[in-house]
Amino acid sequence: MNIFLRELKANSRSLIIWSVIVILFVMVGTSKFSAYYENPEMLAILDDMPKAMLAAFSLQAFNLTTISGFFGLMFTYYALMLSIAAAMWGSDIISKEERDKTVEFALTLPVTRGRVVTAKALAALVNCVGLLLITWGVSLVSATPYQPDSEFFKFVSLCMVALFIMQMLFLAVGIFLGCAMKQYRRASSLAVSLLLGTYFLSILPSLNKDLDFVKYFTPFKYFDAGMLLRESRFDVTFILLSLAIIVVSMVGAYLTYTRRDLYI
Amino acid sequence: MSVIEANHLTKYYGKARGIVDVSFQVNEGEIFGFIGPNGAGKSTTIRLFLSLIYPTSGSATIFGKDCIKYGPQLRQDIGYLPSDVFYYERMKVIDLLKYSASFYDRDCTQRMRELADTMELDLNRRIEDLSYGNKKKVGIVQGLLHQPKLLFLDEPTAGLDPLMQRKFFHLIQEENARGVTVFFSSHILGEVQRMCSRVGIIKEGRMIEIADIKTLQQNNYKKVLVEADALDAAHFNIPGVTNLEHSNGSVRFFYKGDINALMRTIGSVTVSNVTIEEPTLEEIFMHYYE
Repeated sequence: MNIFLRELKANSRSLIIWSVIVILFVMVGTSKFSAYYENPEMLAILDDMPKAMLAAFSLQAFNLTTISGFFGLMFTYYALMLSIAAAMWGSDIISKEERDKTVEFALTLPVTRGRVVTAKALAALVNCVGLLLITWGVSLVSATPYQPDSEFFKFVSLCMVALFIMQMLFLAVGIFLGCAMKQYRRASSLAVSLLLGTYFLSILPSLNKDLDFVKYFTPFKYFDAGMLLRESRFDVTFILLSLAIIVVSMVGAYLTYTRRDLYI
Repeated sequence: MSVIEANHLTKYYGKARGIVDVSFQVNEGEIFGFIGPNGAGKSTTIRLFLSLIYPTSGSATIFGKDCIKYGPQLRQDIGYLPSDVFYYERMKVIDLLKYSASFYDRDCTQRMRELADTMELDLNRRIEDLSYGNKKKVGIVQGLLHQPKLLFLDEPTAGLDPLMQRKFFHLIQEENARGVTVFFSSHILGEVQRMCSRVGIIKEGRMIEIADIKTLQQNNYKKVLVEADALDAAHFNIPGVTNLEHSNGSVRFFYKGDINALMRTIGSVTVSNVTIEEPTLEEIFMHYYE
């Protein structure tokens, strides 16, 4: 409990910064949306754009003149931000003890390394949930001027579930990298590079049908906002795949961290 | 009963040597000095005992239990003062000490206050605002607040002013008088000589000597100075004499061997002054290093 509480306190500043980023992003995004809202001319402009470009910015799937369609577009960016935050928290929370040379204090206390990982992982998880709730709240508040209907609220809730699973996925991968990597300085940058790499990978299937198999390798394809909007359901395969990645990462994190030399 | 036991402890960092085949025991209630030059493997040995790192081969026990398997439980009774202390920079000293105390299954508040008083530590400052010496004081209080039965001190006096060093040694001697076993790693030989009953000397990762400080001194070279009006240096060139030096009216040399033979040699000439000294630990140490 003591490690958990200390980590929450130590990470509160970072949570506030991320919250401000998300709030600003939603505000700027919504102010852009006011130009599209119930404006058919915008649709005409979009139709004239090259298909590949539309795909790259995932502008194809949604009717951007409705609030639900606009939120569907924004989903990708929410996913990016929340995943980056999760990956950074995950990789940092373990490796910072080595970076700041505090291992000789923190890991010579009468605690098992497993307990350290558990407490820190839970603290990072609470941070992720906090950021998710803020994202949720801000999204709903910013949508009020555009007469959101019950379909919109349902869609947003589903998106939040999807975002939560993605957060957990990247958190787990981040924690694994923080636990496993000897070059602890690189854990954060590798976690974020991996994340951005999979994001760009996620664009490929929409550019070329032959690259459809790529969707299994990029979490950004696991949850399709278009499908959430139209069918209100998740693809079970990808939920299971996410769970598998989370479990494997966490098991790997515990195994490597309890067995390796700490870098001092 | 031996509190610490190392059995053929070996640690390689990849191909780089840490320590090789180190075996020794430290008995309950003793202050064991652990000396060696920088990079000899002193910190590596301590970190193995604290299971911060794991041995390549061999094993180590504390209070008769395996260091790795029972590490967390053993550390309830271990205090550790690393050579460089690093704490969470943004925390206040008092919060850090309370945080540390919260891990032990006993109330540490009173002892913590006592120690902070003794070391004249300001509890309300932030760690990041402290000087190196003050951080070290935090380390001392943090390492002792749970009244450990075993102390690992890794070059503990670096950064402390002479007055604080004295207080610190006094504190360690008090702890020792209460029955605390101390593993004292240092390269400052004067303090080891003053504090320790036994020493282990480590060089290039290997333990090259473990001995009582007294026997170490007695079984070693004696430093002899003979002064007389007319002296022939060659007269003293008997078996066991080395480093013979002759300068206006005095002869200096090192002697190792039967002391009676030396006395007879000196007795056969008329002298004005004779001194026979035991070498300092420093001189013995240099001898091991060469």
